[in-house]
Amino acid sequence: MAGKGGSAPATYSPSPTTQKKKTSLFQEDWVRPDGRGFHQCRPAFFRTGAVNAASGSAYAEFGNTKIIVSVFGPRESKKAMMYSDIGRLNCNVSYTTFASPVRGQGSDHKEYTAMLHKALEGAIILESFPKTTVDVFALVLESGGSDLPVVISCASLALADAGIMMYDLVASVSVSCLSKNLVIDPIFEEENSQDGSLMITCMPSRYEITQLTFTGEWSTPKIDEGMQLCLDACAKLAKIMRSCLKEAASDSQE
Amino acid sequence: MGFPDASKDLSSEMEVDAFRRLFPLKYFERHLAEAIRPDGRPLGKARDTTVVLGAVASANGSALVKIGSTTMLTAIKMEVMTPSLESPDEGCIAIDFHMPPICSPIVRPGRPAEAAPVISKQLSDTISSSGSIDLKELSLVTGKAAWMAYLDVYCLDADGALFDAALLSAVAALSHLQIPAVAMNDDGKIVLLSEDDGQKKAQEPVNKEKRNLTLRSIPFSLTCILHKNYILVDPTAEEESIMETVVTIALDTSGQLVSLYKPGGPVLAFTSAIQDCVALTRQRVKELKGILEEANSTMQVE
Repeated sequence: MAGKGGSAPATYSPSPTTQKKKTSLFQEDWVRPDGRGFHQCRPAFFRTGAVNAASGSAYAEFGNTKIIVSVFGPRESKKAMMYSDIGRLNCNVSYTTFASPVRGQGSDHKEYTAMLHKALEGAIILESFPKTTVDVFALVLESGGSDLPVVISCASLALADAGIMMYDLVASVSVSCLSKNLVIDPIFEEENSQDGSLMITCMPSRYEITQLTFTGEWSTPKIDEGMQLCLDACAKLAKIMRSCLKEAASDSQE
Repeated sequence: MGFPDASKDLSSEMEVDAFRRLFPLKYFERHLAEAIRPDGRPLGKARDTTVVLGAVASANGSALVKIGSTTMLTAIKMEVMTPSLESPDEGCIAIDFHMPPICSPIVRPGRPAEAAPVISKQLSDTISSSGSIDLKELSLVTGKAAWMAYLDVYCLDADGALFDAALLSAVAALSHLQIPAVAMNDDGKIVLLSEDDGQKKAQEPVNKEKRNLTLRSIPFSLTCILHKNYILVDPTAEEESIMETVVTIALDTSGQLVSLYKPGGPVLAFTSAIQDCVALTRQRVKELKGILEEANSTMQVE
């Protein structure tokens, strides 16, 4: 039923008549659109066992950011791969066409796949599944900001649900620098107008960081502040993830 | 697995699991002889079906459908296009079915599943041939602007009967679709009308207020598996992989046949088998119609 002319016709999305005034982020008294404090994260909702067909899966919802991650494996590696006496991790992050407010835009996050891989690699005990591969696939249903940190946390929950051995749960949080203010767990608008960002993925119980990403301009005191904010938030997030796993385990025992 | 006989010791329970993997056909046939299936359903019963409308808030229409474990999420986004010269007063609907890697162990990233384009084509054919949508309703300004509705169906969990769930979610999303209020501005471009627009409108409203699409007859479908003399309704992925002959029938609410799809398979279907399938589909259409109406009325109450 696509365009009768043969090739798909060019379409555009009708934009609202009154553009919202770009509220000055350069003022000291920036108020977050959803009313949160600068150092307040969105409420986190996790549920494991979202996908029946997968070995393990998890669904995460942080405000408007909704992610599903499925884990398959450990299963046979592709025949073309060389023999490996430790396991392999294969990741993929994809977006639905309706994840961003305007269809088709915002789905050019091809680097997220590699970043997810690097974030999880350090935490998984690859020696526990030699010669095989664990596949971690993420689908972003709705992108409301801070997508990659939520994908990473959700992926680690899905890995736990699948029974893959890990050193610790991995939690991830990002902080945005908006002129002089540091805001944690930014939403889409805040990310678009940020001057710099910091994302930390860590294993809270071991106090070890698996991935650290800085973009933009940061002064040393800001770095210290930002890192401390993230690490504290990661610790709290890990507690929420743990309680979600415990609930799921006790539900299945009943 | 839910085997009720707890007196069986562990070694014989393991045997059952192994039997299921090693001799899947025999395992199923043992059940079919007792007119039941491994998940406890009788042969003619479909799995529990739920429909939730408005799952994706940013889309103009959306629905989340679960038939057993098979989960489909559909979202419709409306964009503006210039209508073609042959039909200047008609809009367009582009239906696309996606199977992301999360839904099933057989899908690999970068390599679309074999079933995806087949179901995609099936869906667009079924919806267009059922005549449930009048494309003229999607017109804005004849010859200049019309709506292009992008209907994307995502399979979130693939456990058999994918087409049934996909069609149900597409139809549910279409029944939930609200066409936004727009106006044409001086450049000839269509813009959204915001509700709290206190200024005097210099533009002509092309579509004064949000409205729903009128759906004429709604198509619903049922997939059945034919195996020897048995007809199994609403198969799971395991059943589909073992007994390969599948028949999908789509009827609309007035009982007319919209499509009949039997893609080969080892079992040949006699007329009687097809008639039985159609009768089973008729029952299912009543059920699905009721479920969809309930979902719609729940939405309106909110």
